Amino acid sequence: MPSVQHCVSMRFEGTDRYYLNPELREIVNIAIAMGKPLLLTGEAGTGKTQLAFEIARALNLRMEEARCKSTFKGEELCYVYDTVLRLNDSRFGSGDTGRDVNNIWDYIRFGPIGRAFTCDDRRVLLLDEIDKTDSDTQDNLLDVLEDGAFIIREINHKIRAKQRPIIIITSNAKRELSDPFLRRCFCHYIPFPGPEEMVKIVRLHYPDIPDAFLRASLETFYRLREEGFEKPPATAELLDWIGAMRAGGVRGPGAGKDVAHIGTLLKRTQDILKFKGIRKSFRF
Amino acid sequence: MIGFIYGLIRAGIPVSVHYILEFYRGLRAGIAPDLDRLFLFARLVFVKRVEHYDAFEQVFRETFLGDPAVGAEDWEALLSGKPFEEWLRREVESGRLPPEALRDFDNLELLERFWRTVMAQDGEHHGGDTWVGTGGRSPFGHSGRHGGGIRVYGESVHGTAQKVIGARRYIQYSDETPLKSENLRQVLSTLKSLRPVGPENELDVDATISRTAKNGGEIELVFQRELRNRVELIVLVDNGGYSMLPYVDLVKTVFNKIRDCFRDVRFYYFHNCVYGTVYADPQRRQPVSWEKLLASGRKTRLIIIGDANMAPAELMASYGSIDPATAIRKPGFVWLCELRDAFPVSVWLNPIPRDHWPWNSPTIGRIGEIFHMEDLTLGGIKNATAYLNIQGQGVDQAA
Repeated sequence: MPSVQHCVSMRFEGTDRYYLNPELREIVNIAIAMGKPLLLTGEAGTGKTQLAFEIARALNLRMEEARCKSTFKGEELCYVYDTVLRLNDSRFGSGDTGRDVNNIWDYIRFGPIGRAFTCDDRRVLLLDEIDKTDSDTQDNLLDVLEDGAFIIREINHKIRAKQRPIIIITSNAKRELSDPFLRRCFCHYIPFPGPEEMVKIVRLHYPDIPDAFLRASLETFYRLREEGFEKPPATAELLDWIGAMRAGGVRGPGAGKDVAHIGTLLKRTQDILKFKGIRKSFRF
Repeated sequence: MIGFIYGLIRAGIPVSVHYILEFYRGLRAGIAPDLDRLFLFARLVFVKRVEHYDAFEQVFRETFLGDPAVGAEDWEALLSGKPFEEWLRREVESGRLPPEALRDFDNLELLERFWRTVMAQDGEHHGGDTWVGTGGRSPFGHSGRHGGGIRVYGESVHGTAQKVIGARRYIQYSDETPLKSENLRQVLSTLKSLRPVGPENELDVDATISRTAKNGGEIELVFQRELRNRVELIVLVDNGGYSMLPYVDLVKTVFNKIRDCFRDVRFYYFHNCVYGTVYADPQRRQPVSWEKLLASGRKTRLIIIGDANMAPAELMASYGSIDPATAIRKPGFVWLCELRDAFPVSVWLNPIPRDHWPWNSPTIGRIGEIFHMEDLTLGGIKNATAYLNIQGQGVDQAA
């Protein structure tokens, strides 16, 4: 465990590009200070992934990023041992690549976790969409994250983290995460931003947007969110939409069924048809 | 501080000693210099699921803000207290509150009605303060649990206390069925079906070495497909008729867990006994043909959840279906045998406790001859998954 005092000195205060909810700011700082992985859950478009990048930017640290896939076993995030390359080198020689066939270290490549552990500086480690992986994988990662160490099986060598990385994990809650996994993280659910926060978020991206225009857009946006579409529009859609309207020189977002550039807000055919009041069964 | 932790435990938030130590470590290090940060820090340490945010907020408020708002215990006392009891009895007797309606009300609504009456009564009860009694037992305490009606005692008292906290941002995430689902998850996650999948991209080191040696040192790489857990599961649920009614809650719990644990799982429904067609929706309106069901493949695991309790004729006689207009001649028994043949890896889960089987219905025994049957207890499900794994291994390897 890293000493708490040591870490307290690092404070994350948000950046100019990213609106940071004060609550979330404290949570990030607590997690950094306690040296615990921070698990962020919440709807798509609440800025979970972005947060990790902003932490790295604000604290001037380098990022290690792992986008999880369902085929991951966990180990490849730590290291990959390239047997095939070594076999090839042993037969045909490594040429002028500088690899030594007798030295296994030349054939071990570190994954994001491995790199974060072995480097000399402290890094931000992002495990994106952890819920895509099997629960076995999550359990494998548990020990690695908790101990700050993993073992290279082939040579039974233990890699210890020189510097505990700041670990940010995101989950879209497609599947439930196992309890032991949750136990070892600090968990935070990011609620969808309310209108006031949304104003600030939009302003960060479009600083010169007229007030009335923004208010009208947000009103339409939150109304659409309430309507129970299959895929309700999220922050990313809102920003796209406002961008499209500004690029298209539209005066206002429109009202009722007459919303400009509706395609940027609603993505599914079903939703658009529903919005326009056309039932599918009535179309021939 | 200890009181706070016990408050959390009482509110149903799982707290481990590990959390407490971590909490103290953080406090000693000065992580929480003010109340806001204390709130966030405590939440990060103790609460791992969004379902518990609401309960946590209440406990925190009670402990640290010293809010005089009514705590969970008080509501419990109130709900089980004499005045409420009497009021409820009077309402039911006078017919103003039919017992059927009670099942549909939640505590909140009931309390609201109670308040209204008390206010209207104007002094008969010596004002609105003295009736907060203690002791006494609620007449509807446990019967309420049954039909999802008024849960006067127990878990959903909580739901009432939620009324007091102002900003309930997390209420819509509240637990649906907290009952034993944790153990269940562990048991279900042992269900395995390891199969070679995907492209051949895992190096088979042993085979490569032996091939290379035979080749006189010329390297020959042998790849294989990797083994992964790919459980395909079909769950057939008997959701019809009164015989299953008492078990609805139990089945629901198991059901939700199965849904969470596996990625490739399909649910079909039937009524009492299977006669060919099953249904894709609980209302049994979208039929799924027998052929389609059977074509799911021999590796698919089949779990049937039903009480196997029916009139013997439904199982054994031609035209036996409970649907009087049936045109199906084949008796249920034959259909079930076909099902068993199509799914060699299958098990029947019966919500009726095992020791009741022999005298509950003769059909249980007969169906037990076709399918391996376990009861819907933790042990039963454990046995069932073990059985499926053993049966499944043979099938997976044969293919």
